[in-house]
Amino acid sequence: MTTKHYLLILPLVVLLASCGGDEQEQNTIDEEVFDPNSSLNTVFDGKIFSIPSPVQTAYLIKQLDLSFDASLLNEDKNATSYVSEHQQALNLGVYGTDLGYSTLYDQKNISMRYLNAVEKLSSKLGLDAAFDSSFISRFEQNSGIEDSMIMLMSDAFKHADNFLKNANRKSTAALILTGGWVESIYLACELNKKKSSEDIKRRIAEQKQSLTSIIELLETYNKVGSNDALITDLKDLKTTFDKITFNYEYSAPETDTEEKLTTFHHTLDVDFNNETLNEITEKLKKIRNTIIKA
Amino acid sequence: MRLLLTISLFTLFTGFSFSQDCERIAQNCETLLNKDVKGGEFISDGQVYTAFLDREKAEFKITFFGGTTYRIAASAGSGDNFVIYTIKDLKGNILFSNRNYKNAPYWDFKVVETLPVTIETELDLDLKVTGCVVMMIGFKK
Repeated sequence: MTTKHYLLILPLVVLLASCGGDEQEQNTIDEEVFDPNSSLNTVFDGKIFSIPSPVQTAYLIKQLDLSFDASLLNEDKNATSYVSEHQQALNLGVYGTDLGYSTLYDQKNISMRYLNAVEKLSSKLGLDAAFDSSFISRFEQNSGIEDSMIMLMSDAFKHADNFLKNANRKSTAALILTGGWVESIYLACELNKKKSSEDIKRRIAEQKQSLTSIIELLETYNKVGSNDALITDLKDLKTTFDKITFNYEYSAPETDTEEKLTTFHHTLDVDFNNETLNEITEKLKKIRNTIIKA
Repeated sequence: MRLLLTISLFTLFTGFSFSQDCERIAQNCETLLNKDVKGGEFISDGQVYTAFLDREKAEFKITFFGGTTYRIAASAGSGDNFVIYTIKDLKGNILFSNRNYKNAPYWDFKVVETLPVTIETELDLDLKVTGCVVMMIGFKK
């Protein structure tokens, strides 16, 4: 019998073998086979989601000369109060943003407290490999060197993301990204209330597409409906973001082949009013406060 | 039942080797993120974009924020030119495709004004038909 023959009879043999089991085996579908988060399905699903890095938003806040406000951060002592994996993952994202924000403002003592909060939650989530003792000591050694600290932090979150995806824990990875995004836009909105500027308002409005990606991501990796309430709140937030319009004008990009660099020359007008922005600020505050509630 | 066990073990092994393959490719991609970089390193956006492609395309939406330079790095194995990626704007215009530059594994993008785009990723079928694809995105001020 050739290999081809074996392949042809294989499904039949599998079927017969499965018929040989007891009644309970016949009626039980292996959960792993139909779990959309299982490796068999996820590696083939081809779905990729991109959520902007909270560090980027923190950079913008700093560029705009908005002052540091420690009262806006999620209190680091709350880290021990998050019991479920859902809460832990969301708040790891929140603390990651708070760590980035305090690091960029050279708030050494605060950064170390938030580093500790990140370490606690990452340990609970089994992410010790990304936030291990060598990461902590390198972060401490580079204290005051803003670029190095941000680089170390971003790399640690990247390793955590990779670890979770390889371990078929995409729902956890999704929640960390969501928590980070919500916190960064919350900070931007609250700081805008204190000292408003057209640049930060525009940057908030530009998050329209990112919010759509976050909702799709949470819907795709919605383990036993645990994201339902969050998705409902984010969809409500989206109704406000949908009032923002983008007017895009194409212009041919310019490419420098030697430098491997392409420069985009388009224009994008982002049309929104203060009322819409206030509505976003209020809805986002509510979502963020629900997330950080211990 | 022995056959069933064999199939299960094969499936487990295959899943494990996909994961190992992706891990190795992710490490390769990481080196591309700051290869030959000029004027400050790229900061990772904290995500590892992974897909297993089998003669298909993976597509995702991303917003490039104004005042930022981005690097997109892509890898699907030891060869540097397995992955083709194409960036399209809101109207479907092709803004860039590394296909026009020998499937360059990394490229930088200077973004003056914010731009929501779609990135399509596929394997160059002349070089590799199926496998894990990893992309990473870095940014700098």
